[in-house]
Amino acid sequence: MSAMNELTKGFFKENPIFKQALGMCPFLAVTSSVENAIGMGAAATFVLVASNFLVSLFRKAIPAKVRIPAYIVIIATFVTLVDLLMNAYVPALHRNLGIFIPLIVVNCIILGRAEGYANKNTVFHSILDGIGMGIGFTLAMVIMATFREILGNGSWLNINLLGEAYQNQPLLIAILAPGAFILMGFILGFFNIMEKRRKGGDK
Amino acid sequence: MGEIFKLGFILMFIAVIAAVALGYVNSITEPVIAEQKEQAKLDAMIDVATSLAAGELTFDSLSVPGLENPYAPVDETLSVVSVSDSTGAELGYLFVAYGRGYSSTIQTMVAVDLQGSVTGTTILFQQETPGLGANVSNPQKFLYQFPGETGATLLLAKDGGSLDAITGSTITSRAVTDSVRDGLQALAAAGLIPGEGGAL
Repeated sequence: MSAMNELTKGFFKENPIFKQALGMCPFLAVTSSVENAIGMGAAATFVLVASNFLVSLFRKAIPAKVRIPAYIVIIATFVTLVDLLMNAYVPALHRNLGIFIPLIVVNCIILGRAEGYANKNTVFHSILDGIGMGIGFTLAMVIMATFREILGNGSWLNINLLGEAYQNQPLLIAILAPGAFILMGFILGFFNIMEKRRKGGDK
Repeated sequence: MGEIFKLGFILMFIAVIAAVALGYVNSITEPVIAEQKEQAKLDAMIDVATSLAAGELTFDSLSVPGLENPYAPVDETLSVVSVSDSTGAELGYLFVAYGRGYSSTIQTMVAVDLQGSVTGTTILFQQETPGLGANVSNPQKFLYQFPGETGATLLLAKDGGSLDAITGSTITSRAVTDSVRDGLQALAAAGLIPGEGGAL
């Protein structure tokens, strides 16, 4: 297991959204615009790296029987810290993302990586894993948000692409909840086809 | 038995460290956050009040006898600030409207002139759905329709008025419209501005 592999496996090969199907709640709820997707991805990545670091550091001290409550306390603490610090020092970003920060606590990717990776691996590899998974999550969020924002609002990262006429009558369903489910189906299907092709067997 | 105590102790230890860390950060950030909220409110007051008149303005909190509080259902209070120019002549009033939206209580700062017409509005706080209701913060999407409206005319098109709701966000649009209208009617009832049921 090379360090590089630990970092890059989260991008596509073990992408938390496309491959592990974790963190579906923010993937569906926060991808209505690219700006929100990037903000949520960045905040989740920070919490993921911090919790992976601590869980890995104390993996021998935390008894197996109480590991889940211990991880939840660690994750919830970091999320609250991020929430307070963002509110105090970057209020503009906090105004946009405020509602999603508390949701990071229940983002299964973070608990999933603590439980599935960080408690068995070294601190260094766990941090790389956290960064890689965070980037993979952000990438997936941005891909989804790109489709939804262009179809549903005619813009990308608040830049008007399709013109005033389209914005007045957009394909609104794309930014509504049902559109998120429909698009998720297409995107997951596409990645499954790619995976099958890659393995060579299409039976 | 011994193991339970050991596990409980470890968990308690983790929780205590977390609590201390959070308490410490909170004690640092709390005054900063409070100061920023105050500043944001002041900025919004100045911003909205310039729709009444340009130049140096002074703000005075008013205590209005007989002013009803239409925001009791959302546990907020209607308070009115009077706006005067440099000569001391009263130009109009500012108040904050509170309305229960789709996922938050939306706070709207409203400036109204002495004739009872809305001159300016801005959203102070909302946590509506991003990409939908949250668009209420973008003046070009909804609030641009408010100036010139009065407590009698401020209604969504689907409620018999003339305002177009934000596409896909009727609940948010209605919350803002209704809360501002309730405030205007309370001001009128207390005799500050002309309107239905007003003393003037």
